[in-house]
Amino acid sequence: MKIMVAVKQVVSLDEDFELRADGRDVDPDFFVRDLNEWDDFSLEEAVKIKEAAGAAEVVAVCIGSDEADDVLRKCLAKGADRAIRVWDDAIEGSDPIAIARILAAVAKRESPDLLFAGVQSSDQAFAATGIATGAFLDWPHAAVLTQLNYTPGATRAVFRRELEGGLLHEVEIHCPAVLTIQLGINTPRYASLRSIKQAAAKPIEVLAPGDLGLSDAEIGEAGSASRVRRMFVPDKAQAQLLEGDAAAQADKLAAIIRDFKGEAA
Amino acid sequence: MEQLVLGAPPTVNGNDAVTRILFEQFSAFEVRLFYAIGYAAIAVFLYGIYVQIRKYRRGAALVLEGGLWSRFGDMVSEVLSHRRLDRRDPAAGGAHRLIFYGFVLLFIGTSTITLQVDILQPLFGVRFWHGEFYLWFSLVLDVAGVMLIGGLLYMMVRRGWLKPPKLDYARPDRSPGDPDFDRPQYRREDWAFLWILVVIGCTGYLLEAARLVWLEARPEVWETRWWSPVGALLAEGLTEAGLTAHGGGELRLGLWWFHGLLALAFIALIPFTKVKHVFTSMGSLLARDPLAAQRLPRIPESLETPGVTKITDFNWKQLLNLDACTKCGRCHEACPARAVGAPLSPRDVILSLREFAKSTLEYGTLPSAAELDVHGKSPGQVAQETLWSCRTCMACVEICPVAVEHVPIIVQLRRKLVEEGAMDPLLTKTLQTIHKTGNSFGESKRKRAAWTKALPFAVKDARKEPVDVLWFVGDYASFDPRNQRVTQIFATLLHEAGVDFGILFEGESNAGNDVRRVGEEGLYELLAGANIAALATASFNRIVTTDPHSYNTIRNEYPDFGGKYPIVHYTSFVAELFAAGRLKVTAPLSYRATFHDPCHLGRYNKGYEAPRDVLKLLGCELVEMGRNRANSFCCGAGGGRIWIPDPVGAEKPAQNRIKEAAAIADLDVYVVSCPKDLTMFEDALKTTGNEGKFVVKELIELIREAT
Repeated sequence: MKIMVAVKQVVSLDEDFELRADGRDVDPDFFVRDLNEWDDFSLEEAVKIKEAAGAAEVVAVCIGSDEADDVLRKCLAKGADRAIRVWDDAIEGSDPIAIARILAAVAKRESPDLLFAGVQSSDQAFAATGIATGAFLDWPHAAVLTQLNYTPGATRAVFRRELEGGLLHEVEIHCPAVLTIQLGINTPRYASLRSIKQAAAKPIEVLAPGDLGLSDAEIGEAGSASRVRRMFVPDKAQAQLLEGDAAAQADKLAAIIRDFKGEAA
Repeated sequence: MEQLVLGAPPTVNGNDAVTRILFEQFSAFEVRLFYAIGYAAIAVFLYGIYVQIRKYRRGAALVLEGGLWSRFGDMVSEVLSHRRLDRRDPAAGGAHRLIFYGFVLLFIGTSTITLQVDILQPLFGVRFWHGEFYLWFSLVLDVAGVMLIGGLLYMMVRRGWLKPPKLDYARPDRSPGDPDFDRPQYRREDWAFLWILVVIGCTGYLLEAARLVWLEARPEVWETRWWSPVGALLAEGLTEAGLTAHGGGELRLGLWWFHGLLALAFIALIPFTKVKHVFTSMGSLLARDPLAAQRLPRIPESLETPGVTKITDFNWKQLLNLDACTKCGRCHEACPARAVGAPLSPRDVILSLREFAKSTLEYGTLPSAAELDVHGKSPGQVAQETLWSCRTCMACVEICPVAVEHVPIIVQLRRKLVEEGAMDPLLTKTLQTIHKTGNSFGESKRKRAAWTKALPFAVKDARKEPVDVLWFVGDYASFDPRNQRVTQIFATLLHEAGVDFGILFEGESNAGNDVRRVGEEGLYELLAGANIAALATASFNRIVTTDPHSYNTIRNEYPDFGGKYPIVHYTSFVAELFAAGRLKVTAPLSYRATFHDPCHLGRYNKGYEAPRDVLKLLGCELVEMGRNRANSFCCGAGGGRIWIPDPVGAEKPAQNRIKEAAAIADLDVYVVSCPKDLTMFEDALKTTGNEGKFVVKELIELIREAT
């Protein structure tokens, strides 16, 4: 019995940041890196299933450069049994489709009973990687789970999804399956710094796309369905605080409206 | 008083005539019987000692720092002076002093009889216990008996009538109906202890009187009777009441056995009852760590699971601490969490664990690991809510007369909870934030020194150019908007005084003091390591900090990680600037002010006087709150509690404190000298409805006003 959990190292930004020279992303100097919040929940869900069953293996998989080892160590500290990181400079520029192709290749190699991914990543929010992986694998898949019942070894899993209007969906799915996990499905545990340090002793398996039988044409920009053209900060909308007593404020507001309509003052 | 002693009757003749009659009425069988009972009592006593020592040895190893002789000297001076017992309860201290000295004199007196009768005389033929020595002995022991009984009677009055709340054994962390809620067995034991000692004392005098009446015909007894004044008075009374010499003899024989058996039973029971505190408290004082709360223990690399899970994870000294507790209630009274109704009393943490150790570690074999787990809600276990209620303010450790060190015990228990993630979600979030950004505000490192931008002068980067004084600013003073104003004022004061100072800018991280007290040791090590590395890149003569929490950990804990620096809190530094004339009071203040001692400046590091000196220098009239200096009352923010929400509706420690200040007539300013205090008390001022009556100000702000 095995659960594979796809995790991503996301970035958040400093207050003041600069864009990269090519204008397609933020300068990495301004990144603060962390484990994607959704993936924290999906890892916790996998570890909970493992702990309830006693015998199960949780494999955390991340696609990223060696900086991403930090998030894998966090996963190991929280209870993942193994960690796999896939990287090659050629992966740079991959969109969710290319990433999903790599994850699917790892899943074929690992053949897990379930594959978890977060609903989305907090930095890019495509919300596509998990489902695209399911498509590449041609496995049943479902998105935005808020509750999951699965007994390791079972051929089916039952889960719930929240729908609009306060409705709940209860769904049964055949395994192996790809499931994307929503925030709040559980309470992720705290990984103490000590446990993270101890996890450093556990090996992280590093694979190149070639190890998975992937060619350069299948990854990076070449293997992507989309390409980022540019990243920019939109012009700020104007806002103005009207001061003075009610009459003065009303006068100013009226002036602004007249101005907006193009009327003379 | 009559003494019991193991030995053959001395010959009564000539010069030796003036001495104590011991076994004169006894048959050889009775003497042997008494000896047999005496040896049995000693055997039970020794077995009890063995069981207790075996229990302590089942704890983890610990090597005490410092020389044994200096420890011994300190312990003896504590015990003889009773200094710690007098604190905040001089009447109980005085009564205990009477009991202690009475008991010690009686013990030494009894020992001298044994010394002669059982050792010196049979082995070397030496006899000294007669004549003038004996008469002085009689007098001293009679006085000792009065001291003992007097002290005990006061303790009875105290328990029976005065009933101080701290002697109420009801627990704030249990509910009525729980098996260990108010522990009536403790009350029964207290009373049994008092009564047994009182009865032993009183029957001793009666016995003495009966002996005098019995032997009234012997001049060497009767003529010297006033050397035993209490016995002699009683003898007069008994004679008045019609007791004859024969009757005296009969009475004496009966009382002798009663008094003797009671005393031997008392000795046998010492290791099994509260009486053992006579040994355990001395042991605890001997093992005392003067920096117990200020410098928490490191986690050895070899340790599989950090902190304390099983009772045997405590070290032997901590197990001894548990047994040293005398339930005096001083910590119970001092604890700010207990005062606001939180489910924590330091006394009950200790007593709970003591019961736990007693029920698991006093038998021949150890129970399974699962049965040794001290975390939980069963009797003897400590609940999470209890542990998370602690502010690590050190009030308990500071006041404990027998050197029980509660704070490291609580933090060791918390370390286990942190490892399991068993903590408030907001605390979890804060720890993750600190790990990620190096500060508890979740702000970018780059913004740490953003407050300097508003200053009309540049603040030096101590990593880039040498400075005389390195100012460690700390999280709250760097990021909290209200505290930033104080921080800017302090920078301006330093600038105007011509101090060559600098800061570490984004190189500074949270100092880790509170992270460590939460129990997140790994994160603490990371933070301390980062700060020590940043300080290594700077060139400075000493550190000044405006944050008492940073002050404590840099001063007391960084040395364990290789960071040894001269460091002062700003209150001392400012006092120096005034003394050197670099700061001058130009507009004296006429405020009526009270000063709140921050835990980490006051109790932790004894910085009581500098802030008061400065306040007076500024012209303020200082009016003390009842709880000041060592007895200062925590604002409630310590030990990570600033990151854990307080229960809604319940009083907060800061509110309790503000109410205390509000009772001072015509108070103008409530002065603090800690960034967290400023936040806590400004909030409490509003929520207690005292806004407008007086203001909360940082001492730095008052200095600005006056200079």
